[in-house]
Amino acid sequence: MDLQMVILNFPYFVSIILFSMGTLIVLTQPNLVKKVIGINIMETSIFLFFIAVGNAHGGVPPIFDANTPHVLYVNPLPSVMMLTGIVVSFSVTAFALALIVKLYIYYGTISAPNFMKLK
Amino acid sequence: MDVTISKLPFYCVIIPLIASFCMPVLARWKKEFCAPLATLATAAVFTLTLIIGYQVITDGPLAYHVSGWSPPWGIEIVVESLSSLMISLISGICLVILVYSFVAVKFELERIVTGWYYTAFLLCLSGMIGLVISNDIFNMYVLIEITGISACALVTAKGTRMATEAALKYLLLATIGSGFILFGIGFIYMITGHLNITFIAIELAQVKDTYPIIIWTTLSFFVVGFGVKAALFPLHLWLPDAHSSAPSPSSAVLSSLVVKVYIIAFLKILFIAFGLEIFHETFIRHLIIVLAVIAMLSGSFFAFVQIELKRRLAYSTVAQIGYIFLGIGLGTPWGLAAGMLHIVVHAFMKTCLFLCAGAIAYQTGRKQVNEFAGMGYKMPITMGAFTIASFSMVGIPLFGGFISKYGLALGSLEAGLPSIILVIILSGLLNATYYFPIIGQAYFSQDDHTGHSAEQGPNKFQKDQLPISMLAPIVIVALGIIYLGIFPGTALNFINQTIATLL
Repeated sequence: MDLQMVILNFPYFVSIILFSMGTLIVLTQPNLVKKVIGINIMETSIFLFFIAVGNAHGGVPPIFDANTPHVLYVNPLPSVMMLTGIVVSFSVTAFALALIVKLYIYYGTISAPNFMKLK
Repeated sequence: MDVTISKLPFYCVIIPLIASFCMPVLARWKKEFCAPLATLATAAVFTLTLIIGYQVITDGPLAYHVSGWSPPWGIEIVVESLSSLMISLISGICLVILVYSFVAVKFELERIVTGWYYTAFLLCLSGMIGLVISNDIFNMYVLIEITGISACALVTAKGTRMATEAALKYLLLATIGSGFILFGIGFIYMITGHLNITFIAIELAQVKDTYPIIIWTTLSFFVVGFGVKAALFPLHLWLPDAHSSAPSPSSAVLSSLVVKVYIIAFLKILFIAFGLEIFHETFIRHLIIVLAVIAMLSGSFFAFVQIELKRRLAYSTVAQIGYIFLGIGLGTPWGLAAGMLHIVVHAFMKTCLFLCAGAIAYQTGRKQVNEFAGMGYKMPITMGAFTIASFSMVGIPLFGGFISKYGLALGSLEAGLPSIILVIILSGLLNATYYFPIIGQAYFSQDDHTGHSAEQGPNKFQKDQLPISMLAPIVIVALGIIYLGIFPGTALNFINQTIATLL
């Protein structure tokens, strides 16, 4: 693995690092809002990964132009899939925040160790 | 093939979806119409699935291209015989549970959330059916999220402290799981360029030697992702809280159906997309078998120490998920068939047990396993159904559970792992240790509380008898368990047709 390859493929490395960070935050942070932020970091890293998969080096936006028929297009499908992914991530965040508000009303705190115990 | 027939699976997804969006509006206007409309929609879906099942068993798999786009690009729906069995199971069990919900929802939920409860229920039904019949992995991801979020909504419907806590835990862990699944889908798309399972299978067979590390990574991501979703043992942490704090009709859906559809999706990805060669070349098979064995034993151990009935049932689900994964891990014709049969049988058993638990709490207000003295005389039909389901859980012949455990034992002989049989027997005995004390108490010991509560007069939780709409579903499901035990051929016929094409 040479340096050239690492530089060309840096979005993949960034997305893996962000994914690990996000998962770690969800699992270890006691603060519930921070957990939700961790979920968002994790999902954003996946979006980055998908868009990096769709990218072609030197590609142009996939809009057909009759004058230049044989150019390299960027794959639009992963980006479109990620629009769905963003919607899903948004709804999960909204739902989680609503639950956290309700828990705050019950317990007066948003710090998980005070009530989330394993039984 | 007739065009209208091939469209039917699509209607199975769309009817509950439309009905679910009508519910909140209807709830503002006429609250009492929600339950009948939801039941009607589910009954319509159930009828459609029966027609589909008949069609599939006579004419072979149905395929439908959504809005006319052909497979590599468009979304494809494929119903083979296993999926047709599963969609009839899902809609049938949901129908039974909805009938039970008529009274149970009024008893367990606040009046204001009734409409939203049915919204979440129908959304969950639509997501589950879609997940089983979809042949496109990104579409699967979206349906996984629909099922997951609406399942969280079903847990939180009760609005208590425990339920909210459990729902948040479920939501966070399930989102991690679906994140892993989505990452796995990204890896597959990266190396194959397809999202349709059939095309992925063709492409992966060619490139599997070029990208061995990516295939290993993808498989492990899918095992973790679907493991969290389906509550495979070390990843089951959300399940006991969520399933025990939800209202009983929700617990029945969650425990008997929601965790299973992820296993079917996993089976499809593992055996169709990756194919048998990768399954045997990598160590994924050993990993699944080891995790399943741990789940079978430790799930039963944890269930044994619980004193709340619904928590005990929830931990029992963890153990039963182990059986199903064991069937997948064995990967032999009998092993797979028994694993899939166990999905069907366990759906009946757990629905029966959770509905009984709900009925007992409804009539007597008792929720602990040591309060069951004399219950067999007070609620003879409910306890009878409970006994049937428990016997089936333990694996006594003539009941459904026996057939699937016997099949798993045959499967482990086929796979050359006879020591697994010991684990199956041990787990069955552990099941007996935590179900039989309840039954023994119910039939063979005196109730100390009867006179006491009679003196106090009728309180909120004491009712004379169950309404027929709660009793009928319990009886139907219990009869289903006996039917599966005596005539397992019907279900096995459907299962074996698909497994013959997989292996």
